[in-house]
Amino acid sequence: MKGKSTFILLIFSLFFSLSLRAQEIDVSGKVTSKSDGLPLPGVSVKIQGTNTGVATDQNGVFRIKVPKSGSVLEFSQIGMATQTFVVNNTQPINIVMTASQSELEEVVVVGYGTQKKSVVTGAISQVKASDLENMPVTRIEQSLQGRTAGLTITTSSGQPGDGATLRIRGTTSINNSEALYIVDGVQVGGGIDYLNQADIESIEVLKDAASAAIYGARAANGVIIVTTKRGNKNGKMSVNYNTYLGTQAPSRKLDLLNATQYATLYNEAEFAANPSVGTPRFPNPSQYGVGTDWQSAVFNNSAKIQNHELSLSGGNEKSTYYSSFGYFDQDGIVASDNSKYKRFTARFNSEHQLAKHIKFGQTIGYTRTNSVGVATNTEYGSPLNRAINIDPITPIVETDPAKYNLPLYTGNPVVRNAQGFPYGISSYAQSEILNPLAALAVAQGRGWSDKIVGNAFVEVEVIKGLKLRSQGGVDLAFWGSDSFTPIYYLNSINQTTITSYNRNTNRGLFWSLENTISYNKAIERHNFTVLLGYSAQKNKGETNGGSKDGIPVNNIKDASLQFPVSRANDVFYGGEYLNTLNSMFARLTYNYDEKYLFTGIVRRDGSSRFGPNNKYGYFPSGSVGWIASNENFFPKNKVVTFLKFRGSYGITGNDNIGDFRYLSTVSGGRNYTLGTSAGLNNGVSPDALSNPDLRWEETSSTDIGMDATLFGNFTITADWYHKKTSGMLLQIAVPGYVGNSGPIGNIADLSNKGFELELGYNKKLGDVSFRVAANASFLTNNIDFLGDDKDFLGGQTVTPQGLEVTRTKVGYAIGSFYGYRSDGLFQTQADITNYKNSAGGLIQPNARPGDIKFRDLNGDGLISDNDREIIGDPTPDFTYGLTFNVAYKGFDMVVLGQGVAGNQIFNALRRFDLPTANYTTAILNRWTGPGTSNTTPRLTLADDNKNYSRVSSLFIEDGSYFRIKTLQLGYSLPTNLIRKAGLNKLRFYVMANNLLTLTKYTGYDPEIGGGSYGVDRGFYPQARTFFAGLNVGF
Amino acid sequence: MIAIVAVMQIFVSCKKDFLELTPKGTALEDNFYKNETEVMQGIISVYDVTQWGTTGGYTMKMPLLSAASDDCWAGGSNASDQPNWVAYDNFKMDPRIGPQSGLWSKNYTGINRANLILSKIEKATTLSAAFKTRVTAEAKFLRAYFYFDLVRFFGRVPLITSVLATDELYKQVQSTPAQVYAQIEKDLREAYPGLPPTISATEKGRISMGAAKAQLAKVLLYENDNAKLAETITLFEDVNKVGNAYGYALLPNYADIFNPANKFNSESILEIPHSNNAAWSDWGWINGGEGNVGTQFIGMDSYNGDTYSSGWGFCPVTLDLVNALKTDPRFSATIIDGAALKAAGATYNARYQNTDYFIKKYAPLKAFRSASGVAEQNWPIDEIEIRLADTYLMQAEALVKAGSNPARAKELLDAVRARVGLASVPATLDNIYNERRLELATEGHRFFDLVRTGKAVTVLGPVGFKANQSEYLPIPQTEIDVTKGGIKQNPGYIN
Repeated sequence: MKGKSTFILLIFSLFFSLSLRAQEIDVSGKVTSKSDGLPLPGVSVKIQGTNTGVATDQNGVFRIKVPKSGSVLEFSQIGMATQTFVVNNTQPINIVMTASQSELEEVVVVGYGTQKKSVVTGAISQVKASDLENMPVTRIEQSLQGRTAGLTITTSSGQPGDGATLRIRGTTSINNSEALYIVDGVQVGGGIDYLNQADIESIEVLKDAASAAIYGARAANGVIIVTTKRGNKNGKMSVNYNTYLGTQAPSRKLDLLNATQYATLYNEAEFAANPSVGTPRFPNPSQYGVGTDWQSAVFNNSAKIQNHELSLSGGNEKSTYYSSFGYFDQDGIVASDNSKYKRFTARFNSEHQLAKHIKFGQTIGYTRTNSVGVATNTEYGSPLNRAINIDPITPIVETDPAKYNLPLYTGNPVVRNAQGFPYGISSYAQSEILNPLAALAVAQGRGWSDKIVGNAFVEVEVIKGLKLRSQGGVDLAFWGSDSFTPIYYLNSINQTTITSYNRNTNRGLFWSLENTISYNKAIERHNFTVLLGYSAQKNKGETNGGSKDGIPVNNIKDASLQFPVSRANDVFYGGEYLNTLNSMFARLTYNYDEKYLFTGIVRRDGSSRFGPNNKYGYFPSGSVGWIASNENFFPKNKVVTFLKFRGSYGITGNDNIGDFRYLSTVSGGRNYTLGTSAGLNNGVSPDALSNPDLRWEETSSTDIGMDATLFGNFTITADWYHKKTSGMLLQIAVPGYVGNSGPIGNIADLSNKGFELELGYNKKLGDVSFRVAANASFLTNNIDFLGDDKDFLGGQTVTPQGLEVTRTKVGYAIGSFYGYRSDGLFQTQADITNYKNSAGGLIQPNARPGDIKFRDLNGDGLISDNDREIIGDPTPDFTYGLTFNVAYKGFDMVVLGQGVAGNQIFNALRRFDLPTANYTTAILNRWTGPGTSNTTPRLTLADDNKNYSRVSSLFIEDGSYFRIKTLQLGYSLPTNLIRKAGLNKLRFYVMANNLLTLTKYTGYDPEIGGGSYGVDRGFYPQARTFFAGLNVGF
Repeated sequence: MIAIVAVMQIFVSCKKDFLELTPKGTALEDNFYKNETEVMQGIISVYDVTQWGTTGGYTMKMPLLSAASDDCWAGGSNASDQPNWVAYDNFKMDPRIGPQSGLWSKNYTGINRANLILSKIEKATTLSAAFKTRVTAEAKFLRAYFYFDLVRFFGRVPLITSVLATDELYKQVQSTPAQVYAQIEKDLREAYPGLPPTISATEKGRISMGAAKAQLAKVLLYENDNAKLAETITLFEDVNKVGNAYGYALLPNYADIFNPANKFNSESILEIPHSNNAAWSDWGWINGGEGNVGTQFIGMDSYNGDTYSSGWGFCPVTLDLVNALKTDPRFSATIIDGAALKAAGATYNARYQNTDYFIKKYAPLKAFRSASGVAEQNWPIDEIEIRLADTYLMQAEALVKAGSNPARAKELLDAVRARVGLASVPATLDNIYNERRLELATEGHRFFDLVRTGKAVTVLGPVGFKANQSEYLPIPQTEIDVTKGGIKQNPGYIN
């Protein structure tokens, strides 16, 4: 009986649907834009719940058949707010679409979800695809520079493929301050340079604890969330091809002494040290003429750069896809043959509606890089440091037969150029200062990496608003390098007698599994979202490497580890790492009528890195907001159209503390001699105590902010914050009676305070539209505590003598410059004799006129190590950026300027420990008699006053700069013209990077990041680049 | 699908050890010391500390204590070369200046390593009984050795006989010297029965039963407790008697004792070996090598001549000791006459407090200068800490104090003198003490002898020694700071 009625029902409904079909209605209408009233072509018009759809034509007109009156049409286009329309008898339908570009209607990615920007209570900066589009950068991080407040980005070097020192709201730890990178929900190691810029939909920077706390023990240094692109559901496939070609050159060269000047000044220095020298070292300086311009030999003024990106995307209601391929190739401006980077990327993202309530999706990105590199900022053998310091007398290659037939060249395996001439060997340069080209010729090494980052997720919407989601993520990376050392003779102290080949390969695997439940519900004016989640992740890897000495080849191309060599020359090495994290988290987001906002987060992280007594950490945060402009009593006005106040407090952690540091390891080498024939016996003892209490470093942060829109088109975001980091890892001081070193423990504290401002302004005047975005950040960093036993930590040093240049000292910013204070130069002997201590003795008895007058800071009547203090800070107090966009018909222009202020640079370009090192021409203004100079000491080889062997404020320079980072001019051909060729976009542009830098700094580049932060040892500068580019869309 | 992922996740997270990982390829304190090889490496690391001389500054006992006594001055290039030595020489130590930091941390490092190995031996299950007995005895001997130095240098020190737990690290308090001595006696009494009477040639440098007994007897004598004299005498007699079980006998030629080619000779009872086998060259951690830096210290600065190698000019010999030894047959084996060398054509730089007389025992000899590593750090010249003439004289002293066997006392004193051709003198305490000074000059005994016999104020007072203060070094200030005052300063030393 029941089966029969079902059957009848089925027949009936089939009939009914057929009859419906017969009642189809023709609907037509026109879509226009609200902003300018013009027709909108290419708008997707779709019957809701079906795949049936059409697009508007050139005139914004559409025509579609709908099943019946009451059917719902959906109108959508990128950049416009999607609209629906219920078909009735009114025809034609006029649809007016409004732009969705009003910032506050947008969503931001907040970690395990998204949130409407207008109700966000945390401090989050966002960079969207539209900001990045057509603005080539060589690394993704650079796209944030100058665009977001609160980020200090300092390029590690201008070498292709090199990264940047990126700090979110200051340096949060004395140990590891690297931000957490999350790409499509997957934590990635080693930065995000593997990404193809064109694949990025948005980058969010979670700056305060309230937004970052959802990442708990990993979030203290801030979080950068990258979301890659998805396909559109509009049924059309879009194909985009972007390319550019460019040429790069150094923007500045130093003025160095020429050969005659060099010889003359050397003689002067020699005479000053020893007036009875007799014949000087260079009896006839003018014979050397201008000599060699080493910088030109090392720099490349036309290094190429090119990029190609092709993407295909599209989809429908069921499935969307986005796939892309990219190729990037850059040569460096320093020693181009030894400084190159190539990157190939491929991506495939897709999402599928498996059933009405079940969604499945995946992203996968593959990247391959190949690179060769040179040392970028070191006094020990970087090409630029050599070019600056080598004497200009030595020729690049020795072409004089009288010279190259000398036993020096004929009797040694000297390095030769392509023509067979030997590279010049300097008779003057010392230590690491070699002929840079000869040294580059024998430095044969290269690196590579293969990286796959992907995720897959299933999302089930059980009932409306209740979603269960499971996501698995993977970051699988392989990387390695090899290097070959031939037999060579660079000079008597830099030579090899055996070939050597070294190769290593590494593998890292990170995986995570995350389950979340979220429920979103509005009950009258109460809107809330609850998220509960669970996560497990493992990070492991291994390294293997080996080297063989004495293989019978002379270049890296022929080198192989298969050559048989003696056991002693055959070395193998390797290692492993492993850590795990297991977490639970919850978030409640609530607002009442979009007026009163609240977000609460708590995360519990358990880590294999934490000691047994602190295996789990809890990271709570809370934030509140008030949208005053949504209050009924808020006067309706045209000045303040939106006004929101925010406040947050939360605790986050830094789990970058290394693996297994809570355990006590034992080592050998605690030896003893036993036996009359004196044999050595190996003794083993623990290296330090264990610390079962070891845990994460913890940062608590407070943020108070406001967002406002004035006149509808002027946006302001302002934030004040105070971050305190406590329990940074340092060795614990234990009493001596313990009898062993203290373990690593949670000891030190620091704090960052700052203020940030982001401003935006849009305006359209007739055909001209323009947009201005500006941001500024002020930051103070302070070391609060370094343990009961010390008030400073050592930092960077210069020269092989290890002269201290920076210290991390309580009461000052991290890594501040440390040294003597110079009070100018002694002009006369009277100045020296008048510089007396209380006992009447000379404070600087060894000084001569023209030497530096050091300040006796501790007042003990003599100049010693105790007369040093903090003399500068390499970290800017103030960073700012300015973007200016203007468009007129098909033309567009962008200018991005960016700058820093309040930082200093230690100029260590000259190897002052080497008397024969060359100088910049600034030395021509040295002290030569009373009144000639108060900043450049006299020349002398003796340096009894330690003018150069004391780190003093004389070497500290102002590091402030303002830079026109990008200037771009583009032209898009009119749409109606290119449509005929089947294109929907065709744009040409020209662009310049680093066109202009305003700075007082005298070195190559004032932006000095990386390991030698703020200390210039011959820094590999960023290039000035000119590009021509093309964007094509089908 | 979601179910599969969820199940996988439960599987992962329910494995209790997901967060409990063990590093591979690294030896951990928790899992090392499993077998005899590893425990042996542990005890070697305790022995290692005995040859340290450069913990927290230079603290080589032999020259340092000679500088503190009336045998030598501090020397060096000037008063600020080794201020810690100069301060000890003229008794101007304060909580921050003096050799205390190095001596404190050296001895406690040894104690910590000994405590650790004792606790590990208890847990190790694969050790043979013989191995276990011997290594336990060695660890106890060494712990007692380090405490004996501590109690002599500092008096009141924390008495720690196990590895400290985390919550005990900052809570230790000082014990009285009597309590420390009691522990030393206990350790040595437990140690000597487990030690072999003689040590094979390949193991020379390990502790023998004779050494432990001699050390125990010496400790008892230092306690100045008449009730312990009988035991002291018995122990010394066991070591000193003709035909003793350990093969000890005076060398016929006095100078041979200190010939570096004569390592572990029959007169040597407790000897700290040094070698250049580690070929060391790290100035930041000289302790990692095996050489004797004390030798480098006492050599003549920039010396150019026969026999000797250049040193740094520390510990010039006082004219007082020179005069005391001038007519003694032991002079030429004890003191280098710089003026005589100069007369023969040698040159050297006169340095701070120069007297033109230098220590000869353990002096840097050209023939033994290391060809590997930094020579200054690799002198292969052993330190003899207890030798038979010393134990003869200590037994004689105990006998005289006890009044029990004057004939044996005289016999022992005579034996020491007769070896260098000196006639018999009466076995009085004064004669014995005088003989100790001459026989053992510059070997590091004089300062403690003056203190324990109550003669320090008389002899060293003129150069700054203050009664009830200078007997002990100040406690290192860092120790008081780190324990926030839990460790108290010694009397007389004001921060």
